[in-house]
Amino acid sequence: MVTTTKERTTIKRGAGSFLLDIIVYAVMIGSLLICLLPFLYMIALSFSDAKAITNNQVSFFPVGFNLGAYTQIFTYPNFFRAYGNTFIYTIFGTFISLMMTILFAYPLSKTFLKGQPFFMKMVIISMFFSGGLIPNFLIISNLQLTGTIWAMLLPFAINQFNLIILVNFFKTLPTEIEEAALIDGLNYFGILFRIVLPLSTASIATVGLYTAVFFWNDWFNSLLYLNSRQYPVMLYLRNIVNGTTMLGDAAGFGDKSTIGISLKSAVIVTSTLPIIMIYPFLQKYFVKGMTVGAVKG
Amino acid sequence: MGQSRKNNPSADSISVFKKESFSSHFKRYWQLYAMLTLPVIYFIIFKYVPMLGNVLAFRRYRPGLGPFGTEWVGFRYFEKFMGDRAFWQAFRNTLTISLLNLLINFPIPIIFAIMLNEVRHLRFKKLVQTVSYMPRFVSTVVVIAMMSEILSPSSGLLNMFLKNTFGMTPIYFMNEPQYFRLLYVLTDTWQFTGWTAIIYLAAITSISNDLFEAAKIDGASRFQQIRYVTIPSIMPTIMVMFILNVGRLLSLGFEKVLLMYTPSNSSVSDIIDTLVYRVGLANQNYSYATAIGLFSGIIGIILVTSSNYISRKTTGDSIY
Repeated sequence: MVTTTKERTTIKRGAGSFLLDIIVYAVMIGSLLICLLPFLYMIALSFSDAKAITNNQVSFFPVGFNLGAYTQIFTYPNFFRAYGNTFIYTIFGTFISLMMTILFAYPLSKTFLKGQPFFMKMVIISMFFSGGLIPNFLIISNLQLTGTIWAMLLPFAINQFNLIILVNFFKTLPTEIEEAALIDGLNYFGILFRIVLPLSTASIATVGLYTAVFFWNDWFNSLLYLNSRQYPVMLYLRNIVNGTTMLGDAAGFGDKSTIGISLKSAVIVTSTLPIIMIYPFLQKYFVKGMTVGAVKG
Repeated sequence: MGQSRKNNPSADSISVFKKESFSSHFKRYWQLYAMLTLPVIYFIIFKYVPMLGNVLAFRRYRPGLGPFGTEWVGFRYFEKFMGDRAFWQAFRNTLTISLLNLLINFPIPIIFAIMLNEVRHLRFKKLVQTVSYMPRFVSTVVVIAMMSEILSPSSGLLNMFLKNTFGMTPIYFMNEPQYFRLLYVLTDTWQFTGWTAIIYLAAITSISNDLFEAAKIDGASRFQQIRYVTIPSIMPTIMVMFILNVGRLLSLGFEKVLLMYTPSNSSVSDIIDTLVYRVGLANQNYSYATAIGLFSGIIGIILVTSSNYISRKTTGDSIY
């Protein structure tokens, strides 16, 4: 950077560089705010006094701080149940999905295996051409899954993108270790569970996160296939927002809309918090996992 | 494989050899085949049977008589929706929202990635990245719920601000048809910019440092380095992403549209997928809805293959 002979260009470069820095940092700070402010607003509303909300006093900091909204929503049996349902679907759904995806991805990563190209084509074709809403709905209803937890867990057990992320990752593992393990008398199940999986925590964490987020955030499939007692928290929230469901019996008539706002915000915060707390810890994995999976789609 | 064997003069001996080798191959690797059995059954039941279920578009559906319909009716349902104004309105709406989305949300992540790459404080860069991924993990339901609170005409932040600073009367943004498309596109920007930028950022970091060094020696400013090194180097990634996006033109964020749908904005918010949902699941007109779904699926395939073809011919970059 320090040049004496080309003074004019250095000055010019310096000024341009400074301008670029200003633009870049302004845009980045702007992006930070745009991402964060909606959440801050929700948090502020959820802790605020109903009166302050009615008087339009609340922006990004709580006014009349109180925990009323939170203590209240957890006394509503339908919220509590929905929250529990979401946990059940997320835990079991992610577990089943990871098992199925790993069991398929490992043999698919073995290019020497006869039939591997066929199975791979089977996966790729299903990515381009799918059943569509109605055929899927009719098949799932005809399998008698409607109204059972299996309607949530089985149809979405394997996501092809996640599968390909894992296949590509397994392909990068050195074959020497597996060959040595085979000679030592370990079979392929043993190799998969005792050698390959411990080496693949990054990719499995990535795929596991995507899957957990999918199940946690689902509302549409629950709407199609489940009964109202089985609804997850996202569908509960959606029904509050569009007015199908009242928040709970406690919401009085007079100031329903304002009590509603702080309660609604409390539901938004509690239903979003678990995922938002988890993802930063997995960030280094999913960034790597995403670029590995994106190499060949 | 079968055909190449036919052309081979010593076909018999080879096929015998192959057969034998397959059974020994299977014996040796039966555990790998055992692993994929369950997933393959899953694919057949939950991906391929529904795919076959698309024949319903050509067959009449009778309740209780199976998901594949009862008798062939040819292209009757296709002719029906081709003459349906609601379909063409949904088709236009889908294309309009998609194109607007592509126009705005395709370049933004690229610009964001390039700018993020210019941030030199590593901790600040890391912070921006972490925060910018967050919206991607938020459920669409939550996004729409937050938006409806922010835009609420009675208590929302935006209307409060507009009222206090400009003295404007509150606008019911979520209900007015003229704001629908913009809100759809902007929530997408909010949710996916940081996430999509990961791919471009990865492409930028893989650019050889020598190129930047060489550009610096030639006296290129940082603007010029972006213009002549960064952007040309990530062009293949940009092309691939473009192909993928064009292929997805007809598949909008159906769930988001459904969440944002109100009777008063239906003239702009009814897209193909919501039409399929409404006609199929709400009115139980299964065959008709399947026909519409199949039609848009086929257009999607045509779009992705043709944009892939054009890209391969013109730039040499393609996804397959």
